[in-house]
Amino acid sequence: MSDGQAAIQISDLVFRYVPGGPEVLRGVNVRIEVGEFVALIGQNGAGKTTLAKHFNGLLKPSSGTVRVLGRDTRTAPVADLARTVGYVYQNPDHQIFAQRVRAEAAFGPRNLGLGPAEVDRRVDAALALVGLQDLADEFAFSLGRGQRQKLAVASVLAMEPPILVVDEPTTGLDQAGSRGILDLLSRWNADGRTIVAITHDMTLVAERVPRTIVVNDGRILADGATRQVLSDTALLRTAYLRPPQATRIAQRLSDLGVAADTLTVTELFTQVSRLLGAPGADTARHGASEANGRTV
Amino acid sequence: MPVGYSIYVDRPSYVHHQLDPRTKLAALGAIFVLALSFNHPAVLGALVLLVLLVGRLAQVGWRSMAPFLAGSVWFLVLGIVIWPLYVQGGPDLFTVAGQTITLNGLLFGLAMGLRVALMVTAAGVWMMTTSPQKLTVGLLQLGLPYKAGVAMTAAIRFVPLLNAERATIAEAQQARALDLRRGNPFARAMKSVAIIGPLFIRAIDVAQGLALAMDARGFAARDSRTSIVELHLTRTDRVIMYSLLGASILAVVLRLFGIGLITRNYL
Amino acid sequence: MDGVTAVPADDIVIRVRDLQFRYPGAARDALAGINLDVRRGEFVGVTGPSGAGKSTLCLCLKGLIPAGMFGGTISVAAQPVAPGSAYVESSALVFQNPETQIIGLTVAEDMAFGPENLRRDPAEIRAAIPRYLEQVRLSGYQDADTYRLSGGQKQRLAIADALILEPRILILDEPTSELDPIGKDEVFEVVERLRRERSITVVMVEHAAEQLAEMADRIIVLDDGALVDQGPPDELYRNSRLFHRPDAERAPQISEVLFQLVEAGLISADQFTAREETGIERLRSLLMASPSAVVQHV
Repeated sequence: MSDGQAAIQISDLVFRYVPGGPEVLRGVNVRIEVGEFVALIGQNGAGKTTLAKHFNGLLKPSSGTVRVLGRDTRTAPVADLARTVGYVYQNPDHQIFAQRVRAEAAFGPRNLGLGPAEVDRRVDAALALVGLQDLADEFAFSLGRGQRQKLAVASVLAMEPPILVVDEPTTGLDQAGSRGILDLLSRWNADGRTIVAITHDMTLVAERVPRTIVVNDGRILADGATRQVLSDTALLRTAYLRPPQATRIAQRLSDLGVAADTLTVTELFTQVSRLLGAPGADTARHGASEANGRTV
Repeated sequence: MPVGYSIYVDRPSYVHHQLDPRTKLAALGAIFVLALSFNHPAVLGALVLLVLLVGRLAQVGWRSMAPFLAGSVWFLVLGIVIWPLYVQGGPDLFTVAGQTITLNGLLFGLAMGLRVALMVTAAGVWMMTTSPQKLTVGLLQLGLPYKAGVAMTAAIRFVPLLNAERATIAEAQQARALDLRRGNPFARAMKSVAIIGPLFIRAIDVAQGLALAMDARGFAARDSRTSIVELHLTRTDRVIMYSLLGASILAVVLRLFGIGLITRNYL
Repeated sequence: MDGVTAVPADDIVIRVRDLQFRYPGAARDALAGINLDVRRGEFVGVTGPSGAGKSTLCLCLKGLIPAGMFGGTISVAAQPVAPGSAYVESSALVFQNPETQIIGLTVAEDMAFGPENLRRDPAEIRAAIPRYLEQVRLSGYQDADTYRLSGGQKQRLAIADALILEPRILILDEPTSELDPIGKDEVFEVVERLRRERSITVVMVEHAAEQLAEMADRIIVLDDGALVDQGPPDELYRNSRLFHRPDAERAPQISEVLFQLVEAGLISADQFTAREETGIERLRSLLMASPSAVVQHV
């Protein structure tokens, strides 16, 4: 429990696309502290994207309140809230228009009305963060999908928002690309920024994200430590989700001494090797889920 | 109104399913010829009622037809206000700012409004009772090249998709602080590039993906295509089409003789 | 390393020799000399990093060879395939994007598109539509508007669009990449059914390692245009050069655990598997047999 301003505070949020229409969000309460890294999971149509669009004011509540760093989003224009909450869309091609990489990354900061020197500084920093600094003068569309994804992230990071929402950051990327983006987000989060990641990738959530919120049918089904949430198979099933394979395996071995809330391959290996009598295998929980390490 | 491809709404009516789309196309053409031939409000008004009657026979709801009529009210008002300044005839009614307003002028203005109502409502009813799929096949049988037919269907198919893309792009750019409300019209138009640019690229991407998918399913592998929609002109269709042709010719003849007109001087 | 097998010639439905392809203006080959044989009824998985040439290979097997420099030979169902070849009927291709594969305004119209292009008889097409809808679990959807379908439904429709052409080979290029978990499950279920019925040869590109390991008879790995390894999942995923490192391609998690146990000398190499159920059974046996095992009476 912490005092002070939350990054995002949502109270009794109800949302309908049309007045009198069906409730897409039915009474959501969420509090996200500054500096947290949260995963938002659930099926398409469950309401997770609808919820996330309330964070930067793209959608306004039908009833209830949404406060971002204390500010009520109802009265704030989206263009203003963009300073505080950056939103990276799933498909980078929804943002990129035919320009060079540098100009693309500068679009956001320019819209914020910053001076040219400041814009350049931010663009250079953002491109360096994603590793595209050497391609700054290339045409955005000559980049491959993974690089365009990084460019989209850089364009939003260049606005230096304290809160970042990323929608499906790893869809369509191979392993190397996914890791690249996730490393980037972890680094950004380590700097004290708040990140909300909407994703389907359970394995990545298990490895990298400390807190998970499950959205189903317009409601929050679960909200807590990833370890608890992702190992609750019955709960996930009601949201039409499944835990990562490592967790599924662990649960089938739980009667033989493996913890049912195992999240990663490394944790599973460590426990199994100990149970098979490996010498010295229980001395350290090294390499356990980086984000979700447990104490022995 | 469905957000999908077209305003076609399927109903189990004779007009929807038993009439060939070519017949319906001919009917629309005939209405336009009749609308342009006459300028007496009574004639045009009667034709509007006829179209509404056909719509009801085809089980099209009043609520669906109302917007088309409502849209024409503006033209009706405009017609009654402006045309009497040009068209004179019959008894004088009153004077406004030095101009004499006559009965014929008012009637002509009314007729012009009704003409718009007629053409718009006929087009609406036509669209609501003709399935795009069958229409395309009808046009193909009239000689439209098959590639053009597929292009038509593909264009219709992608309307909702590109509309959704446009909305997503607008949101994504708003999230980068693009503010389309501020600034003079020129500045706002320049800002729209941020939406039109990606939309254009997306449209091209979609088109390329579509072209590849079509090639993968044998498009243009043969000189022509078969179709699961098989159209036949029945006797009823032929009777209707000949009647329409007859009516159109009669309308033009009547016009030449000055029947059904308020004035010969204007269309 | 190649994917050639020593099997009677008429049992091979795809034969690729020294396939080379370079896109115009590209600095290196997209495909750098691929050799591959696929047997009738086989389920071949294809994996590898982005840019490895997987999609290019799919296009070539479908006969949609892009403009560029082409070398080598491809034979699909005993027909040679080369740039400028006539339309290849024996293979069908399902792409990644659910949206751009749907052409018709209704499901029936979309399914009829392919056969209509090939001038099949309209009555036969109409009769075939419900049959293939049943195969992809979309029975009764003939008259549904295509824009109302979910991503998973659209991809299943795309599979039905391919199956109605009655190909000998079905090629799927990352069919679930853009789908949510439900959609992914739906598509894999349909593909798994095809595999079970052994009615058709399948080549599927996928990153979903766990599902691929369950379904594929053999998996080939492409990297930088070359075929760098291939084999049944239980053998392939033991390759330490290609898997089991943070920057490597994803392997099923069960295979990673077992790999590490083998490497640590705690289990014998023949215990290795890439399939979930088998792996769980083996781990259970090992743990129950181990003296240090803790058996909790729950």
